[in-house]
Amino acid sequence: METISKSVKKKDHESKVSGRALYVDDHIMDDMLYGRLLHSVKAKARLVNIILPELSEGYFIVDKNDVTGLNRVHIVLDDTPVYAEDTVEYIGEPILMVVGPNFKEVERILNEIVVVYEEQDPLLDMRKSDTAFFNYNYEKGDIEKALQEADRVFIETFQTGYQEQAYIETQGMIAYPHDGRMTVRGSMQCPYYVLGAVSKALGYNDQDVQIIQDVTGGGFGGKEAFPSILACQIAVAAKKANKPVKVIFDRREDMEFTSKRHPSISTYKVAIKDNEITGMDIDVIFNSGAYTTLSSVVLQRGLICASGAYRIDNLRVAGRAVKTNTVPCGAYRGFGAPQTFFAVEMVMDHVAKEMGLDSLELKEKYMVKQGDATSTSGEYHFHVPLPEMIQQINELTDYRAKRKLYKNQTGRYRKGIGMSMFFHGCGFTGSGERDHIKAVAKLRKNADDTVDILASNTDMGQGLKTTFCKIVADTLGILYDQVSYNNPDTDRVPDSGPTVASRSVMIVGELLKRAAERLKQEWKTGEEQVSEEHFVEPDFVIPFSIEEFKGDAYPTYSWSVNAIEVEVDTLTATTKILGAWGIFDVGVPIDTNIILGQMQGGFLQGIGYASMEQMDYNDQGRIRNNSLSDYSIPTAVDVPNLVTKIMNNPYTHGPYGAKGAGELPLVGAAPAYVEAMENALGVNLTKAPFTTEDTMKALLGVLK
Amino acid sequence: MVNSYQATSLQAALDIRAKEAVTPYAGGTDLMIAADENATYLFLNKVPEMKNIAEDVEYIRIGASCTFTDILESKLTPAILKEAAARIAAPAIRNLGTVGGNICNGSPKADSALIFFATDSKLRLVSSRGERVIPITEFYLGRKKTALQADELLVEILINKSGLSNYYYKKVGARNALAIARVSFAAILDVEDGKIVNCMTAFGAVSDVIIRRADLDGMLIGKTLEEAKLVKEEYLAAYNQAIVPIRGRISAEYRKAVCMNLLRDFLESNGI
Amino acid sequence: MTKFMLNGQDVRSILKANERLLDVLRNEFGISGVKCGCKEGECGACSVILDGRLVNSCMVAVGSIEGSTVITIEGYRETERFAVLDKAYASVSAVQCGFCIPGMVLASECILIKNPNPTEADIRDGISGNLCRCTGYNAIVKAIGIAAKEGEGLW
Repeated sequence: METISKSVKKKDHESKVSGRALYVDDHIMDDMLYGRLLHSVKAKARLVNIILPELSEGYFIVDKNDVTGLNRVHIVLDDTPVYAEDTVEYIGEPILMVVGPNFKEVERILNEIVVVYEEQDPLLDMRKSDTAFFNYNYEKGDIEKALQEADRVFIETFQTGYQEQAYIETQGMIAYPHDGRMTVRGSMQCPYYVLGAVSKALGYNDQDVQIIQDVTGGGFGGKEAFPSILACQIAVAAKKANKPVKVIFDRREDMEFTSKRHPSISTYKVAIKDNEITGMDIDVIFNSGAYTTLSSVVLQRGLICASGAYRIDNLRVAGRAVKTNTVPCGAYRGFGAPQTFFAVEMVMDHVAKEMGLDSLELKEKYMVKQGDATSTSGEYHFHVPLPEMIQQINELTDYRAKRKLYKNQTGRYRKGIGMSMFFHGCGFTGSGERDHIKAVAKLRKNADDTVDILASNTDMGQGLKTTFCKIVADTLGILYDQVSYNNPDTDRVPDSGPTVASRSVMIVGELLKRAAERLKQEWKTGEEQVSEEHFVEPDFVIPFSIEEFKGDAYPTYSWSVNAIEVEVDTLTATTKILGAWGIFDVGVPIDTNIILGQMQGGFLQGIGYASMEQMDYNDQGRIRNNSLSDYSIPTAVDVPNLVTKIMNNPYTHGPYGAKGAGELPLVGAAPAYVEAMENALGVNLTKAPFTTEDTMKALLGVLK
Repeated sequence: MVNSYQATSLQAALDIRAKEAVTPYAGGTDLMIAADENATYLFLNKVPEMKNIAEDVEYIRIGASCTFTDILESKLTPAILKEAAARIAAPAIRNLGTVGGNICNGSPKADSALIFFATDSKLRLVSSRGERVIPITEFYLGRKKTALQADELLVEILINKSGLSNYYYKKVGARNALAIARVSFAAILDVEDGKIVNCMTAFGAVSDVIIRRADLDGMLIGKTLEEAKLVKEEYLAAYNQAIVPIRGRISAEYRKAVCMNLLRDFLESNGI
Repeated sequence: MTKFMLNGQDVRSILKANERLLDVLRNEFGISGVKCGCKEGECGACSVILDGRLVNSCMVAVGSIEGSTVITIEGYRETERFAVLDKAYASVSAVQCGFCIPGMVLASECILIKNPNPTEADIRDGISGNLCRCTGYNAIVKAIGIAAKEGEGLW
């Protein structure tokens, strides 16, 4: 183990374990008002009239007419209204906010508002949508020829559902005007995203807006873009009230109306000739929901991963993110990759069966290695540790033997084991870092020789305060306690980019390392000094073109192999997880405990996605799984101890050899689980989550 | 304005119940989910007469304000009830939730009520006018409708002391904790000298009211296991007719299939 | 009015008896270590110890606790047992976003009161009502096991 990997006490441990850490809902300001949003109850309608009750003094309504800047939330495109205009496009769309000093009175007023809708037919089925917000296609080799010359073409369609981030702290913020400026503080991943959105909605210059991240109770992507929307709504209210306004979502509001993972439908055509896979023709649809939010970038990542960890020389991938009258989807750990990795892992499994092979045999034959071309004709520049991961997992689980043993079972309880192999491209897709983010990070050395890290990345539990401080302290050769990293405040820190895409340690951590190296050279005891670093793209990268969808989509990749073993009770169709194992290469861990915590937490979210986390809307477009009892996430008794192993595979351009880590562990759990279910049930399966009800359907078919 | 009553004795509670329109509050875990701002609660969680678990010649008597933790910790609790109580929600809810609340809430998903159905337990309902003891099957009138009178309180549940040791219990939820039953099944088969002296089954979370069909279970009573085998298919067919699951987020087909699988397994695991 | 003991002090709530204990603690007494995650008894973030037992404070009407004793993280953190749990949680980095943690720490205490030498299954059952979305539970389970060993004699 590298010295840097040795675990330390987390910077945020003490304040959190003692209950002293203040989250946004713990802040109470003088004269503060409480706001609550009125959400549309129709999936598609024209707003004909809004009838307000009489408002007591100090209470008022905030809506589109109060937006002093542009009534649009700046995300990637600017199509999400701050407050609805003439129409509503999904159930939950914010129409107005009721604001006032007493929360219960605010709720009473909210309940008495009558909205007159002129209903229109909502479009709910993504397959029927003819509005593609985004549409990308790419090819390599000659897929038409491969299809024409194939002995047979294996065609199959896969579906994945919603996944809700279910952070335990719901969305919440406070906005307060002062000195002609606006400050917004709260639970968020990306302060500068919020800043850009709020200044546009208020019509302010960027320097007149201040964003402060409060201690954030989990994000997982759910607090990437959504806080920009909420911040605009609250900032508009605070400006009108000229007082602080606080909005904290209740759980049902949060589950039903905030962004979640895109449901997907992917169709694979696999060309097979002489028992070889000669090509894949892949069509992917993501349900974007009513507005675009982050769908373009989520779709890009999904498409790049569509051929998985396999070398497919003749490849065509086409994808659309389509509009429906449902809640806008957005970022969730994995960001489009879990959907397509599920599909490609399952299709490889099914093609293997067609060929009379076990899925692992087939996968091993096609898995990529260093020097191979990526799906987008870039290159895997570094060592791909899949073979040793497979070996290690086989030793841990006895996978190969069990896989055979579990074929053709009878009896009440049936076991199964499944495996997945996958990667996560580290950092922003394509040229994002170079062309859009242009990260800047700073170190400020104080006169007492302590060092402050100045960056905009947020610790939402993943340990960034600790890992950043470790990198800086170790590089400078000073004590960990001499380095501090406070929650970002845009008045104080430069824009080092958002806290997304498993980029913070690899990209910003590297900037900090370089800044620390320079500071070390220039170190003057007892003096104030500043050291600043800007992002530079590594020179080995083959530049990515989004127009052609070609080049290195990522500088490097994190790798993993998962195995999951299950036991199905055929009487109740319930499934017990007997074991879950994951080998992860995220480069050199900056802190072993933190990395293990990331791997275990992400893995369990993936297991939930695969099995019990079922969310859907009804024929009115309403999501009914809107509480933690109707949308089940795993409890401590739903899984055994997860076995997670780290494989050191240093990355030359990351600090101490670190790569992206946060998202990887969620990406491959679903195919490993569903493969295990197939092994137990003896049939091909094509959907995730694969629920108890799905199991019963399969059993009723199998046992007939 | 009085907005609650804290009763410290059963008599005091009954007097308030007789005079005022109050909502009896035992553990609060159902009431507080969609808490009614304007409710006037009669707190029963500190009424000593409703907190005991005791036995007499015939019954284990469980106070309606006993929490599921109280039930788990009592030596008198029959094993079948303990097993069901252990599967309820999670410790923090079991520390608050009570059997009385579980029954009076009127839900067919109530985990402890299922056991009281499967054991033909009786409820002691008391008002300042007097008291009555009725079988639990007569207490449920329909979805969320019970026979509890406006001035009455459920004070005790009377569960048989003997004949419950050979039981079968299965709760199927979405996960292993914090789960609401999707289907639940409890059954007793009491066999003496090779003869079935009692058979009691109950199905939860499938219909508006927990299903307890003593008439059908009677088909097996008085028979030897061998004789029971002869009517097994007829018995299962009768239940196949009798169980008509309501539609919900969990499909009727799923619920039905699980009910029938468990019922068959109950018989087969007993050698029928 | 409801009188009860909060973290060792006699207090009176003047709020309506049907207010949630969670809201009373946070809004009337400024106890911000009690977190609100769902108000439905489904997440455990608002867990407190009521008369020696773990409860979801969102599921308690304050009028029902007349004369009772309530301990929140604010009171518990002053104890020797907390110090042991604190150290154990730190040693395996069991705290991520931290929102479930005050409730989780109180759940840990209740596991160890009941059984000073819990098995892994006992520990998992003891925290089964406390949702954590960050850790996958491994580290928390491990921390409670470490605390049981290190705090021998304290529970």
